[in-house]
Amino acid sequence: MAQQTLLSPAELAYLHSSLSLSPPIRPDGRTSKQFRPLTAETGILPGTNGSARVCLADGTEAIVGVKAEIEKTADPLGDDGERYREYVKSASGVGGGDADEDRREARGEWLEMTVEIPGLRDDDAGTVFLAELLREALLADGELARKLWINRRFHWRLYLDILLISPPLSYPLPLLSLTTHLALLATRLPRLKSEGDEDPMFDDDWEAAPFLYPRQGAAAGSRPSITLLVVAVGDSILFDPSKEELAVADSALAVSLCEVRRERGQGSMEVDSGRELRLVAMRTIDPPSRLTPPGVPSTANLAASGTADVPLQQKQQQTADEAPQEGVWKAPLGGTPFAVLDSIIQAVLEKGGVADEVLDGLEGVDLT
Amino acid sequence: MPLDTSTYSLALLRIDGRRWNDLRRLHAQIHTQEAADGSSYLEMGHTKVMCVVTGPAEPQAGQQKRGTAGGGGAGALGGGQKDAASIVVNVVVAGFSSVDRKRRGRNDRRIQEMEITIQKALAANLHTHLFPHSTITVSLHVLSQDGSLLAALINATTLALIDAGIPMTDYITACTAGSTSSYAAGDDSADPLLDLNTQEEQELPFLTVATLGDSDKVAALVCESRVQVSRLEGMLVVGVDGCRQVRRLLDGIVRAKGSKMIKEGVVQRSDLMAVSLEE
Repeated sequence: MAQQTLLSPAELAYLHSSLSLSPPIRPDGRTSKQFRPLTAETGILPGTNGSARVCLADGTEAIVGVKAEIEKTADPLGDDGERYREYVKSASGVGGGDADEDRREARGEWLEMTVEIPGLRDDDAGTVFLAELLREALLADGELARKLWINRRFHWRLYLDILLISPPLSYPLPLLSLTTHLALLATRLPRLKSEGDEDPMFDDDWEAAPFLYPRQGAAAGSRPSITLLVVAVGDSILFDPSKEELAVADSALAVSLCEVRRERGQGSMEVDSGRELRLVAMRTIDPPSRLTPPGVPSTANLAASGTADVPLQQKQQQTADEAPQEGVWKAPLGGTPFAVLDSIIQAVLEKGGVADEVLDGLEGVDLT
Repeated sequence: MPLDTSTYSLALLRIDGRRWNDLRRLHAQIHTQEAADGSSYLEMGHTKVMCVVTGPAEPQAGQQKRGTAGGGGAGALGGGQKDAASIVVNVVVAGFSSVDRKRRGRNDRRIQEMEITIQKALAANLHTHLFPHSTITVSLHVLSQDGSLLAALINATTLALIDAGIPMTDYITACTAGSTSSYAAGDDSADPLLDLNTQEEQELPFLTVATLGDSDKVAALVCESRVQVSRLEGMLVVGVDGCRQVRRLLDGIVRAKGSKMIKEGVVQRSDLMAVSLEE
């Protein structure tokens, strides 16, 4: 998926060693937790329920459009009239909305997601993996599917179409995730006028349509999850890696978080302290560094010393077998050490940490 | 929903209030994206497309394979050319672009045909012989569609290619033209129409015509609906005239962007440029 960077083994080794320093020295001079600036706008397509466009500083750009359709909920128990009437009776007997809440049975399949990347087939393994990864993270908190529930017979089917406009310069996961987050925040569904299990009727006034994720009021609750890309190089952990940094990463992780709003006490004047972060998913991603060719130490480099004519094949065999040498590039092998995983989770979840910063940034985007 | 065409003859106004020879609002931006070699955004009414041009660049392994294997379709013509740049056109129609969400795969025949039409029109216009052993990749994204899709795609491509600085003979501009009554009505006195929207396209016969610059040279002509031969000439004349109007609009956009770049100091002012700026 991520395009191969054309860096020589010597360049890779240099990058790797400067990134493993403490504090790491990144090619663009950022600190390890600093994000690149991005521009974002929402509500760009009036024909959708919600849309967003995000441009990252490296020039990559994505557009997400959300469309909703009404669908009849397939009854897992079959069309059993008796049973259904019983349900209704018991529900009306209790008479409270709470019983109804409990009965809300949401399914993850109500959210459908596609990713389109120019120049790649739509059934490309990498693209499908990317879409599934994002979908999984969104559904992990179970909140989104519940919001799509209308009544026992009908539900919304949400189509999320993600377009990567620019060529895939670096691994597009964080870009797509942030764009999806914004698009979902901007999504509005028509206001329901009917009650109970009637055929749904909607208010045709778009101005009255409530947001899927309301910002204020009693319904203000969770937020759609975001997925961040984190790489580990040596002992240092880098957020928002650039293409070059990804090319030397020992391991890359997609960390999905969601934000849960604590219920604010009545009359509380606190505005932005109710955020609680929850880790919902984590996946390792194969970094492109694994496919890089190994470097040849100058002691073994016969082209430099010019002594004997050992075939190239044999020479590379040697270097692959040898223990890693300082300053000589060798593609990373193996998984992510537990200590690294642990420190990544710490860094992501800490109060006022990276995720807080990103969410604060996204909060600032105007919803239109 | 069938379009009621009977009211046209009363007021000579179309369903969206236009006269027969009115273009819809055309709005375009050039150089919308920093990372790409060339990019553009174009709106014709509610049809919104984005174009990103990459190249001329060394052909990527994957693209070459796609081109020759016929998977991409559009790449087939220029796939293995050594003495001129090959042109690869990718059209992505977003699922949310139409009123009802409809997902169209890459192998959709209509999309493939549009890709090939654009690619052939460009191949004749671009000076590809200046870039041997290279590929020019045109990625088009349809964000919203309301008729004249192919025309919008061609216009956006022209702007993006200008932004990329790829030498070409002249602008290729496109426009649709239709006829006020359907084929079945057999009405010989039907008037031609310019720049159709989706509703009109579904009901009326129409064609898409692309011309080269200010001349009457036709670069592409697509007509997929049944229409009486006697009406074709009138439609073509109106279409070509529409193309000329579109060219003027696109030229204005390019010039505005160019003078803005000179004012901002991105491009050095030269004697030649100064003349055109004062106009």
